[in-house]
Amino acid sequence: MRTRTSRQMTQTQAAYTLLLPFLAVYALFLIYPFFRGVWISLHDWNLLAVAFNPDAKEFVGLRNYERVMWGRNIEWSLFAAPFWQVLGLIGLALAVLLRLGDKLSRFNAIALGVASLLLIVIPGFHAGEGGRWFDRRFWPTVGNTLVFVGLAVPGVTISALLLAAAVNRETRAMSMLRTLFFLSQVLSVTVVTLIWQIMFSPRQGLIANITQAVGGTPINWLTDQQFAMAAIVIATIWWSLGIAMILFLAGLQDISKDLYEAAALDNATGARAFWYITLPNLKRTITVVVILQIILHFQVFGQSHLMTQGGPNDSTQVLVRYIYQTGFRDSELGRASAMAVFLFVIMGCFSIIQFVVGREIPE
Amino acid sequence: MNRSYYWLVTALAIPAFTWLVPTIWMVSLSFQPNDVLARTTSSTAFGLIPLPFTWDNYAALFSFGQTPAWFLNSLIVAVGMTLGVLAVSTTAGYALARLEFPFKKTITVICLIGLMVPEQAVFIPLYTMFADFGWHNSYHALILPRMAVPIGVFLMMQFFRAIPKDIEEAARLDGVTWLRIFWYVMLPLARPAMMTLAILTFLYAWNDYLWPLVSAQQREYFTITLGLASIQSNFAQSEGLGRVMASGVIASLPVVILFLIFQRYVVQAMTVGGSKG
Repeated sequence: MRTRTSRQMTQTQAAYTLLLPFLAVYALFLIYPFFRGVWISLHDWNLLAVAFNPDAKEFVGLRNYERVMWGRNIEWSLFAAPFWQVLGLIGLALAVLLRLGDKLSRFNAIALGVASLLLIVIPGFHAGEGGRWFDRRFWPTVGNTLVFVGLAVPGVTISALLLAAAVNRETRAMSMLRTLFFLSQVLSVTVVTLIWQIMFSPRQGLIANITQAVGGTPINWLTDQQFAMAAIVIATIWWSLGIAMILFLAGLQDISKDLYEAAALDNATGARAFWYITLPNLKRTITVVVILQIILHFQVFGQSHLMTQGGPNDSTQVLVRYIYQTGFRDSELGRASAMAVFLFVIMGCFSIIQFVVGREIPE
Repeated sequence: MNRSYYWLVTALAIPAFTWLVPTIWMVSLSFQPNDVLARTTSSTAFGLIPLPFTWDNYAALFSFGQTPAWFLNSLIVAVGMTLGVLAVSTTAGYALARLEFPFKKTITVICLIGLMVPEQAVFIPLYTMFADFGWHNSYHALILPRMAVPIGVFLMMQFFRAIPKDIEEAARLDGVTWLRIFWYVMLPLARPAMMTLAILTFLYAWNDYLWPLVSAQQREYFTITLGLASIQSNFAQSEGLGRVMASGVIASLPVVILFLIFQRYVVQAMTVGGSKG
């Protein structure tokens, strides 16, 4: 083996030669920017001032995080937000009880427990006597993002699941329907918002035209605080149902046909078969799809930015749009970076959960 | 094929139609005259049928306005990004999957961690970096950041791992160098995976919005996705609804055609992309 000519590369040399281009761009355009982002978040960093004079930044430690997430006289108490906290307590109790009764796997018990605990702790913070949040918009923005995720994820998951179960047949008609439901997924966010902005328009919109034709009064979807978030969610469901449907179809392929035949003998077909066979066997796929959707939709930007501009009255302001505005409209890169780090931490938690779920719980 | 099947198809026609309507509407509006649209958007069948019909919007789009230039920008950026991502991903993917070298595990893990970093978490530092280099408003500013996303490396790594080892070993015994094995033996085998990665990257490049929004501030460097966003905020006054819709149709055409031709690859690519970054 050692007789090979010295001109030839060793395996190690070949490996590093092949790896070098990627590692170079990776280090330069992903790893370095990431740490630089953390570094910016520790500074008072005005976009325009620093652009003209690189020394115009000032190290402020963690103060940006304080300015974004904290306030003066912030207190914590149980029942500051009774609804969410009671919900959290119920969840915690359920997690413990169901785990003791062995009705819940350890993984699910921990997941429910942690989620409930967060639900008890986080809404408990509030500005006390004479106090106020330093940034009044940050937590409401996070809340809006969560509302968006809370509506879009179940919306996409449930409709994708039902459609997948319906079109899971190898016929021409069904394959055409699959194509059709997936088609909107390839469009860009700006095309989607263009279509839906005008669909929802109270004067020119198709929805308003149909409403008027049947004698109703058109709704100001995008400028009415009650409907703006719903409008964005509808557009999002229309746009992003395809991937979820495809993942469910892949999951459905793995369910043995024998199960359905056996169930048919017991008179379980159609909806009953769906409930008793499809759903339990699809648990893992559903978990994967839900986590994936949470990661995807937590980063929502275009729909809110283009359809409602965060309005009306900040009701559709979402986290990424707030980061963008703080950075590029208000030129406050330090604060914006602190929020970006916050976003990364949340995304990181879900990525880890995704990783763990992807590896474990073989059923 | 029993009766319940036909019931199912009939029942599915309703969601299918609902799903199709927004797209049909956009296409139909793009073929209607702007002065009609200014009065009403529901001339025939709620505007879903383009009557009165006109080609004017498309003619106007190509004779003046920036849409053709934006379209070209998108094409350059998407093709450049696709080639760039393929180049760095196939090489790195092969090395990580098939070669033995010191610190292999460490490097693999470092690459894996990068999957967790979302674009939204690094776009501010990237912006300041590129501003320092004076790179904004250029094609490479739009292309380079995506080449650093390790999703392609992992796609290729998984593919190369599945190829039987004996193909390589036979070539090694003949004294073929590693780089030649990569180029002449492995790359031809990797075509399906490269196709999936190419489509994933092309779609991403074509549809990306946030990074072009911060990086390309001069209208000459807008991609079509960004350009469309810039005209939709004030479509009513400036260009007329029909022309904006025509821009939307033009902006969607390449990805829709790509989808209809390479449906299997597109679905696969988007599923991989959706599930891993």
